[in-house]
Amino acid sequence: MPHEVIMPALGMAQDTGLLVNWLKQPGDAVKAGDALFEVETDKSTMEVEAPADGFLTDVSASAGEDVPVGQVIARISDSPEGAGTAAPAAASEAPAPAPAAKVAGKEVIMPALGMAQDTGLIVAWHKAPGDAVAAGDVLLEVETDKSTMEVEAGHDGFVAALYAEAGEDVPVGNVIAVISADKPDSPVQTSARDKTPAVAPRKPDPQPVQPAARPEHPAPKPAATPGRDMVDGRILASPKARRLAAEQGLDLTRLVAAGIAQPYHVADLETLRALPTASPSAGAAPCRITASVPRAGFAAFVDWLSDQARTPPGAVQAVFAAASLRAATGAKTLRVRVEAPLIGTVSDYADPDLAGLAQATPADGAPPSLILRDLTGSRITDLALGADEAPVLSIATDGEAFSISLEFVDGQLDRTQAIAVIDGFAGRLDEPLRHLL
Amino acid sequence: MERKTNSEDYLRMYTQMVRIRAFEDQANQLYLSAKMPGLTHMYSGEEAVAVGICTALTDADRITSTHRGHGHCVAKGADFRQMFCELLGKEEGYCRGKGGSMHIADQSHGNLGANAIVGGSMGIATGSALRAKLQDSDDVTVCFFGDGATAQGLWYEVMNMAALWHLPVIYACENNGYSEYTATEEIAAGSIVGRAEAFGIESFQVDGQDVLAVNELAERLVARCRKGEGPFFIELKTYRYHGHHVGDINRDYYRSKEEETIWKEKRDPIVNFGQWLAKQGVASDTELEKIRAEVKAEAEAAVEYALAASYPDVSEVSMHVYAPNDAA
Amino acid sequence: MREITLSKAVNEAIAEEMRRDGAVFLIGEDVAEAGTPFKVLSGLVEEFGTDRVIDTPISEPGFMGLAVGAALTGSRPIVDLMFGDFLFLIMDQLCNQAAKACYMSGGKLSVPLVVRTNLGATRRSAAQHSQSLQALVAHIPGLKVALPSSAYEAKGLMKTAIRDNNPVVIFEDKLMYNDKAPVPEEEYLIPFGQANILREGSDITLVATSSMVQVCQKAAEILAAEGISAEVIDPRTIVPLDEETILKSVRKTSRAIVVDEGHQSYGVTAEIASRISEKAFYHLDGPVIRMGAMDVPVPFSPALEDITVPAPEGVAENARRLIRGEMFHAA
Repeated sequence: MPHEVIMPALGMAQDTGLLVNWLKQPGDAVKAGDALFEVETDKSTMEVEAPADGFLTDVSASAGEDVPVGQVIARISDSPEGAGTAAPAAASEAPAPAPAAKVAGKEVIMPALGMAQDTGLIVAWHKAPGDAVAAGDVLLEVETDKSTMEVEAGHDGFVAALYAEAGEDVPVGNVIAVISADKPDSPVQTSARDKTPAVAPRKPDPQPVQPAARPEHPAPKPAATPGRDMVDGRILASPKARRLAAEQGLDLTRLVAAGIAQPYHVADLETLRALPTASPSAGAAPCRITASVPRAGFAAFVDWLSDQARTPPGAVQAVFAAASLRAATGAKTLRVRVEAPLIGTVSDYADPDLAGLAQATPADGAPPSLILRDLTGSRITDLALGADEAPVLSIATDGEAFSISLEFVDGQLDRTQAIAVIDGFAGRLDEPLRHLL
Repeated sequence: MERKTNSEDYLRMYTQMVRIRAFEDQANQLYLSAKMPGLTHMYSGEEAVAVGICTALTDADRITSTHRGHGHCVAKGADFRQMFCELLGKEEGYCRGKGGSMHIADQSHGNLGANAIVGGSMGIATGSALRAKLQDSDDVTVCFFGDGATAQGLWYEVMNMAALWHLPVIYACENNGYSEYTATEEIAAGSIVGRAEAFGIESFQVDGQDVLAVNELAERLVARCRKGEGPFFIELKTYRYHGHHVGDINRDYYRSKEEETIWKEKRDPIVNFGQWLAKQGVASDTELEKIRAEVKAEAEAAVEYALAASYPDVSEVSMHVYAPNDAA
Repeated sequence: MREITLSKAVNEAIAEEMRRDGAVFLIGEDVAEAGTPFKVLSGLVEEFGTDRVIDTPISEPGFMGLAVGAALTGSRPIVDLMFGDFLFLIMDQLCNQAAKACYMSGGKLSVPLVVRTNLGATRRSAAQHSQSLQALVAHIPGLKVALPSSAYEAKGLMKTAIRDNNPVVIFEDKLMYNDKAPVPEEEYLIPFGQANILREGSDITLVATSSMVQVCQKAAEILAAEGISAEVIDPRTIVPLDEETILKSVRKTSRAIVVDEGHQSYGVTAEIASRISEKAFYHLDGPVIRMGAMDVPVPFSPALEDITVPAPEGVAENARRLIRGEMFHAA
């Protein structure tokens, strides 16, 4: 059985060795221990000895070449003829992937062309094994990221080996071809599936690391005070104070507004809870008024309207609510927020009643004057949830009627205004055309 | 203790030396062909030291080994397969792949470990001997170290105690002439033997390439240790064929090719002992050739086995940091 | 219950274990007739003889190496290292040899030995006899580290250390050798890795080791008088560390100060504080405060030495500032 002659790893941190010259010629008889060739590495030149008795054959690297460590560069065979190929296949009985014999020359690798590309698909080779090539010649076409690129040979010489076939997907960085300086006697063509490769790994492949059972992080928690952070910098608060504020819906910016010095700790949350507030949640008496109107009139109006123009769902109701609120309070500008909690949509409308059939305005964090809660299409007929940051006007269907409620707290509307708002809104739902005219 | 008077014992020593050389040749090939992680320090050339001494020991006797420890490991009775598995970091290695070349040891045959701190095991070997004395056990501990390690202060502290307390320890200095990349004359003042003698320790010099001479001395000193006459010091003059480690290729600045050739051609312990065996009629050249071929085949098969063996599971990374405690 | 000194407690622990297990022996400088400079081991050589209470030359790396070899082959040595500062002398044998033998052998070897040594400044012994070097050894995987804080702790932890199959470094506080504490006559062991809650509290957690446990107990008394309720936890062993007990306490109190006599930088306090910060972050109502020895060699002059180590009033003041919600460092 022939012995492989390998470019040895001689120095301390050596990846390749420069083959200075062969001291034996192909076909020469050699004895184990005879100097076979000279290698330059780590700034010194070493003679490398024959590993066995026999004949030097299958020489695949020539003087002057820098050869990767571990690569087979020749064989010591039982006869001067050897295996008759410069690129002997790896011994098939080897239990571990032995570094396959390699063709000498400049390597062409599958380039990383795309943004996040692991492999490239070889569309076509433009050169065949044995062809002469110039550095700028197109060697192959590669498809990646849905586009096809031409790849140049990069070196003058001859195609000594092609290690993949057209149609094969090859990992980026893999050697796919070899360009040799001299015309090869027996150029090589293999498939990427043959795993003919490349440089023998310096380190054994580690076993794939099994990912530990690590659940993805749970859905991100809502930010402590979404959309309400200080504009000019972060609020200084302890991790625990921040967490509790988020859990309890407390707004730390109100501590800033009240002039309480930072940093905030859990004790400051008590102060926060005790702050007097314009916000409805803090103690003002909740009020609620309800009304009911037939649905038929509004339904006919919407049918008619849909023939005239496209309006977003809820836009008509927003117009009616805005008009009712403006009539009741005399507000110059107002903003209606339409919430459809069962669908999960929220749309803001700035002065929709002045803009004709309005389109929603982009949310910009401005507080609403009125919240219109649309529960139509659900089985909910009535509800009493208390006011929010603005008065809440809810519409639900109850048989053939709309059931309407308005919830607010003192300070948001006075009672007379509130009665006028719900009355005006109910009237507009009942007789939409009257409003339009 | 059985004396090595029959041919079987001679052939065992010959075979063990051949085994060490074969192991190192394969290890060298694994390194050269980039199949082995890390690097390694070759014992080739020093086989008569490990074999001559370890043949005088039983499994109950302990040794401590060094970064150049493959030879001690083989000589103390280790198996090729588990050694190559260790060399390649495989699960079936003697240390489950956690030690590698520099810490390779077959603990079940009394090898207390190969130490990659030069001189690091001198305390351990002496402590093992202290334990033998405290427990009235007649086992002996041999501390292998190189000439470079004689520059470590620890040795003088433990020789002092070993001599004071008559501990059954043999300090075996493998003087291969070089302290890493420096000639020993440049790092050692005075006499190395004289240093041990200063503590009143009976000291010897022996040709480390002559396995019979080494073995004869070792047998004698081990027997005396068992009788409480220790400690002893032996300086074994030997030679390492390779560099300090496998990557130490450019050695001209510290030793010449001619010097290496003389040792390899004239003083090789295996060749010379083989010639002696043939001359004495213990074994023919053919029989010796057969031993070498068999050992080589065994080594090659072990390499193939180890290359195909599996790495430890990643879950082993945090195992063996601590020894388990008995359930309380 | 009877009260005995820490010194006596250590002596009893070693004597009991030497009676129980013939493999246990003591080795070190002046451990036999001298009984060590602190007289902790007095009387042991009379009972066990010079074969098991072994006086050595002044060769710390040497006798430490001997202990490793003896432990590897079936003995259970107790190494007496006269001063914690001498750890630097034995580092190779302790950290490269003892700590790694089990791992490097794939679990086939073990090193059951104890290094008993000490820590603590304020004995006017200057920079080479006053260090508290527990962080140094706690950094090395393969070693266990015990820090007894009283006579009771010293006895229970020493007995556990001797029975452990791994190298254990146990640090006694030099200043506490004559401190008495209730110690039962009956045999007991204190398991490693189980912290001791010395005092329960709700406002702040004080984690303290060894000599600093007393300091924190006194700080807790000062704070109690001011209406602040401090919980005091002694981890007992820093390797293994009972993280759960500490985290549970901090989740309750939301505030923590960690106190250890080693140098503050890169020290035991840093490790424990960072674990709290990582694992109880959302329960913290203020920064975790470290209090270690100042980052200076221990000075000789009493006027200087005393200010290098944490004292009760300093701990109490940091606790007050945390509870007031003061900003510790400019944000």
